[in-house]
Amino acid sequence: MQLAALAAAAVIPFLLGANLYILTVLILMLVFIIYSSAWNFLTYTGQGSLGHAAFFGLGGYGSTLIAVATGLSPYITIFIGAGLPALVGLFIGAICVRLKEWFLAMVTFGFAIIIQTLMVSQFSAWSGGWDGIASPRLLSSSIPNYLLIEYYSILAITVLVIVLFAIILRSRIGLAFAAIRENELEARAAGINPVKYRLFAFMTSAYFAGVAGALEIHHMGYITPEIFGVDISFWPVIYSISGGLGTLAGPIVGTIVITLLWDGLQSLGISYARYIVIGILLVLIIIFLPKGLVSLPGRIREWMEKRAKKA
Amino acid sequence: MVVSPDIALQVVIWGLYAGCIYILLATGLNLIFGVMKIVNFAHGELLMLGAFVTFTFFTISGFNPYVLLAASVPILIVLGVTIERLCFRPILGTGKLNEIFISLGLIYIIQNAAAIIWTDEWRIIHSPYESITISVFGVNMPLDYLIIIITTIAILIALYLFLRKTTLGRAMRATSQNRKGAMLMGINVERMDMISFGIGAGLAGAAGTLWAVSGQVFNPYMGSLPAIKAFAIVIIGGLGSIPGAIIGGLIYGIAENFAIFTLGGAWKDAISFLILILVLIVRPTGIFGESSE
Repeated sequence: MQLAALAAAAVIPFLLGANLYILTVLILMLVFIIYSSAWNFLTYTGQGSLGHAAFFGLGGYGSTLIAVATGLSPYITIFIGAGLPALVGLFIGAICVRLKEWFLAMVTFGFAIIIQTLMVSQFSAWSGGWDGIASPRLLSSSIPNYLLIEYYSILAITVLVIVLFAIILRSRIGLAFAAIRENELEARAAGINPVKYRLFAFMTSAYFAGVAGALEIHHMGYITPEIFGVDISFWPVIYSISGGLGTLAGPIVGTIVITLLWDGLQSLGISYARYIVIGILLVLIIIFLPKGLVSLPGRIREWMEKRAKKA
Repeated sequence: MVVSPDIALQVVIWGLYAGCIYILLATGLNLIFGVMKIVNFAHGELLMLGAFVTFTFFTISGFNPYVLLAASVPILIVLGVTIERLCFRPILGTGKLNEIFISLGLIYIIQNAAAIIWTDEWRIIHSPYESITISVFGVNMPLDYLIIIITTIAILIALYLFLRKTTLGRAMRATSQNRKGAMLMGINVERMDMISFGIGAGLAGAAGTLWAVSGQVFNPYMGSLPAIKAFAIVIIGGLGSIPGAIIGGLIYGIAENFAIFTLGGAWKDAISFLILILVLIVRPTGIFGESSE
């Protein structure tokens, strides 16, 4: 299954033809797969965030500023720059770690917008204010087939990140996450320190959200404070929920399906209405398919069996 | 920095006005939370709709915008009841994260439906009293601010009387104190959910009208910032506590104005988050919040 998906990702540019539009869509899809997987990682400990754009954007700014200052390749600065959101994530996590779901959601919801406010006021000297700043490209566009190389390099990073998440979740850490999520008191009684694991989850999630943000920014070649918008905070939530919360495949499936739907609607010339379509879809999935699209095959099989029994 | 008493009084009174709109939002949030134990993250969008309803009726009819509270509040109540019925009731009790996520879907739907109806331009309406300034306790303030403060107080008193004196209000309070107990006493708790959501939405609609009348600009995507401030107030005042929302709102409005005065206007929006963090570090359940659920 995993290998089939990987093989599909590897050959898809050849099947569809490696033109600029398709490659751009595919690259952004990969970036958002990393981003939603990072967001989803947080939910394993029973936490949630409505402000991950803060980490996504800080990763972009961190990596850009380092790349501009040192002249290093963005492929290196991405992983250094993401340290900035990880640090901020640690700080926010430390405040949020004792909070109940609603307060956590409120704090994170506000956080991205406050960071945006700070970026355009207090820190505008080096963030460029609302105008933003230019960011070095991942690869120079003079290299032949640079987008194709970019696609494969980002695919490699995506696979690495997801494998890393899988390893963490299968280890003792993953077990501790599950214990904390299901019953914090019992986890404590079993000698698990929930604060430590929650902070670890928050930091890891913020770090990889930052990596995703940096990849997107270096792909675009430009960063503005719009990156902290509510939209960017909500996308990973929407992708993960529609795919299936708390599963590794969920954010991947969700990102692919929703992105295809999104771009499909755009090619039909629908603009505002596609947000409404996504919103309605989200509401319907939460009500009728709470385990997300990954549970759909099982649900259909169940339904078929029921019908077979009746007949 | 030394602040003279005159200026301090001015900042307090201006803060009072600034707090009013957020108090209405936060009271609605707390009312809904008290009865249903959910937080509606799309509450700022309801304020935005209130502002646009006022805008539409104002451009069509040219009525005094304060009178248009009579339009925005009922429309938002109906909308609130519909939202509760279609979106929140099916998922009630299925997990707190679901309730948060369903509001996200609502934010998308409401914002962009509004963008289709009214376009995404920034709008503004002008109050007929715009140029009138009056003097209260030796402090000069626009007449509109005074009317907004009085309107808010009137709405809150009406809400208080409704919750204290009427059978329906008592039933709502009973539901928020003990849902099962209320059910056993023959209270239709699902009806209480609908009513509380409707009233909460109506309060947001009133806040929207006041927002528009006070001369602040609005567009379909402006709802998040007031919502965040309302959250900050809810956190200061304690989740589910209506007196807490009022006190929190006053503290917040005054703190915001002092921040603008001493630190500069750029801090106006960031200050809400700083207050939020400070309060949460000291008391994770809010200043007036209960120590546990």
